[in-house]
Amino acid sequence: MPVNVKNGNKERSWFWKKIGFWFVPARSEKLGPEEWAKVRKVSRTGTRRARRLLFALLWVPTLAFEIAVSLRVVRIDPWAGLISAAWLTALLGLWVRSLRIGFAQVSLDDRAVTEYGAEFDALKEKQRGDLFQRAVRDGLFGRVKVDEREAELRLRAQGAAYRLLGPALLVFVTGYWAVCLFGPFEATRSALAVTAVVVTWLAALVLAAPTMIRMWTQPDEPEETAAVGE
Amino acid sequence: MPLHNRIAVLRAERKLSRATLASSVGVNPQTIGFLERGDYTPSLELAFKIAEHFGLPVEAVFSPRPFRTLSEQVYETHKREA
Repeated sequence: MPVNVKNGNKERSWFWKKIGFWFVPARSEKLGPEEWAKVRKVSRTGTRRARRLLFALLWVPTLAFEIAVSLRVVRIDPWAGLISAAWLTALLGLWVRSLRIGFAQVSLDDRAVTEYGAEFDALKEKQRGDLFQRAVRDGLFGRVKVDEREAELRLRAQGAAYRLLGPALLVFVTGYWAVCLFGPFEATRSALAVTAVVVTWLAALVLAAPTMIRMWTQPDEPEETAAVGE
Repeated sequence: MPLHNRIAVLRAERKLSRATLASSVGVNPQTIGFLERGDYTPSLELAFKIAEHFGLPVEAVFSPRPFRTLSEQVYETHKREA
């Protein structure tokens, strides 16, 4: 692969310019200005709302694809279905994890100022490479600083998700019971009804969990001090 | 209730980058940007840390009411003293 920093990107292959350099962070010190521009752009992805909306919209078809694949495989062999569902869920989980890390990760420009006290453009190639490698490492291992704003935003998002989960679970449980009672499963109806009971109680457990956690953790109300009391 | 602040003005006045202020008060640089834009209301602890960093009382940096511009305030003080 021809890599010649002095002569810019002209001598590099199409593969290197478009794809290759993402997979070789160990050679980051050899990146040219074009690649650095791309890297910096990606390090700021979490800050652009349009891109975040795109990722959020992509999540729905990804989930639908995953369900479709698992359903197809499970009909061939239940164990293969389990394995495929586990793999696809793990992949989706990793994707969501990388997005969550991306939100809290500091851009390369800010890292440059914090760690070297200079703008990114003013850094030496070695320093840029070190910053990039540290950013990649932190991203992979999830070593990001969750400050108070990040923690609050996560909490707010979790609250909103939970508020959606309540009605969604009620609809799901009602639908499950309807299918169990009125579906064409005469032979297995009683077994299905047992699973419906379990699903109902699981939903109740999930919906009651925040109140139970509060009951367990909320401290006693402080009493009025003697000097002020009647 | 939105909380108004003078972080951007104070930063510009002291030629301080977001990243530097952020590392000194212990938050991510993007948090300083959100604070300046009024998209995030800081905790009391963070508000006090920022005010302390600038060496000002907290009410000089944060206010529930919109701030008057610094130039207006300085001009008025000068007028009062004259």
